[in-house]
Amino acid sequence: MKTGIGRDSLRGMVKTGVDALWRTAYRRVVRSAFATVPFYRERWALGGRTEPRLGSGSAEGAVSTEDLVRAAVDLAPLAGGPTGFDPVRGLGGLLPLARPTAGDGLLVALEHPGARPVWDLPRGWRGCLVDAEVDDPALPEVGAALGAGRPVVAVGPDKALDGFTDRVPGGDRVHRVPRRTLDRLDSGPYGVLHDPVLGYLGVLRDCGLWHLDWTRVYARRTRAGLAFTLLRQRSPRLVDALVGGGVPGRVEWCPRHATPVVRTVAG
Amino acid sequence: MTTVEVHDPRSDPEPTGWRRFQKKARLLPVWDYRLLGIEAWVARNPPVLAVARQGEEAVGAFVAMVCRTVRERAYAPPPDTPRRGLAPRWVEVYLPALSGHSACVFLPGVDDDRKRAAVLAFERAVVDRLGPGLLGVVYRAVDHDLGPVLSGRGRVTREIDPVAVLSDVGSAEAWERGLPDTLRERLGAGSLRVESAAARADLDGRELATLLNDHRARQDARAWREGQRSRVGGLHLDTRSRIAPSYLDALVRRPDVVTTTYRTAEGDLAAFSVLLDHEEGAALQHFAARPGSGLWVDACARAVRHTADRGRPLLTAGRTLLDRKAALGFGTRPLVSVAVPRPFLGRRGPSR
Repeated sequence: MKTGIGRDSLRGMVKTGVDALWRTAYRRVVRSAFATVPFYRERWALGGRTEPRLGSGSAEGAVSTEDLVRAAVDLAPLAGGPTGFDPVRGLGGLLPLARPTAGDGLLVALEHPGARPVWDLPRGWRGCLVDAEVDDPALPEVGAALGAGRPVVAVGPDKALDGFTDRVPGGDRVHRVPRRTLDRLDSGPYGVLHDPVLGYLGVLRDCGLWHLDWTRVYARRTRAGLAFTLLRQRSPRLVDALVGGGVPGRVEWCPRHATPVVRTVAG
Repeated sequence: MTTVEVHDPRSDPEPTGWRRFQKKARLLPVWDYRLLGIEAWVARNPPVLAVARQGEEAVGAFVAMVCRTVRERAYAPPPDTPRRGLAPRWVEVYLPALSGHSACVFLPGVDDDRKRAAVLAFERAVVDRLGPGLLGVVYRAVDHDLGPVLSGRGRVTREIDPVAVLSDVGSAEAWERGLPDTLRERLGAGSLRVESAAARADLDGRELATLLNDHRARQDARAWREGQRSRVGGLHLDTRSRIAPSYLDALVRRPDVVTTTYRTAEGDLAAFSVLLDHEEGAALQHFAARPGSGLWVDACARAVRHTADRGRPLLTAGRTLLDRKAALGFGTRPLVSVAVPRPFLGRRGPSR
């Protein structure tokens, strides 16, 4: 007689647990934003929304990233905090899922000058920001890492990746991870989901689905499109942001990994 | 028999006859119930409106901030939050955005006995509403005339910084002629584009609020360095909140509010002022500018011109920088604050 828990039952239990944790984290962020962050307090209180998921207006409480950028000064909580946006936020945490590589590697983020360094890299990894449009002073270091046989992962838009691999000696050995926006999700085989205001939101995994970085990012469907919330960023607080101006889509669960994935109409 | 009803502008409907009372009591626009509602939602210590009635008629009103702490890093809980009766709180009868004007008003003709009855009824209503956690009531920046009505046994009265008042303006030209040369030279806005009008619908509340809150933060920091009088026992007793964009949005769209903006050639906001216009007197409520703009004198002069042109009897201009305002011809009107500890609230009548 067969005993024990089947694989499907185990996935179901994991999904239930992840779902509960995920929603709880989101509700906590919404309540905290309402209680402490001027922008959300004003918007939701005067729009009639005081509880999570009790939306008001056509966007169900969600807000475009353009509006968030305009209101940056009011996204810091009353106790104070930074108001600058971090376009590389979350990249380090997604790296092991984006391009599994062994050893101590080098992550190259192809960003415009002025972006913050990637700070949440896996143990042993180093990171650098490279402006792909110029002969960046970091290129020799990349070449040295490649020469020493260390893995180098480059993340950026397709065009920037092409320019970077052309400029660096041994560029054909660079592991490319193209950056995708929510309205242009493709089938890979590699990719990370990015927004210039919220940072890195998800990753294309080996199952072929776009996984959300669910411990740091929450997503929900609204009439105006998919709305994303950063669960761990205190300031600037970003809650229910309509990435890409509001892209229609839905949040589902990966049958293999039992964690949330996004599907868009375009993707 | 005087009764007092307490209304939370976040959730309660406008009190019956409130607009009629506003008109008869000649109240400035900050008493508008909708504005109070916006102010309350975005406040750490939200105001409630208490209306004193004799029979059906409203005879007095109080804007009372329900304060939880001076160091709170969160907004007040919504009105439907279960009440924690023992949480320490106190009440400040105060208009935080117009500090030189009393938040305790009565209809003209109400005598001191009826005012005292209303004050006691108000205090009892506040005790009933806030429960055992209430520490006391502070009447902040009330007119000197109200001092005797509010004072009494167990009540602490203190004279505070007065409000700047310019009365009998006459003509703006005469006022300008009377200015010292150094100040007259500072009139005008140079190359800035100046627009001034009531009911401004072309303004972005967020742009105004950002400039105003930055300006206030600098002003507060300076006042703190210079030993402001709200420094008690080493504590920074500031119960006010930031001015919210939506509050300014609603305020500057009113027909009785004149907003003057100063913009650079690129269209950036360099400064603005908000003047509350009323037939009983105008009030220069807000002025905010980038550091070192030097536009305050010009903003003040425009307020004086408006006051003179409209024939308003006086202009008030807040409680700060009184020496500089004196150079512009402003006198002062004395103000007092009265603190009433919990044991004396509504029980022992104020002295007669």
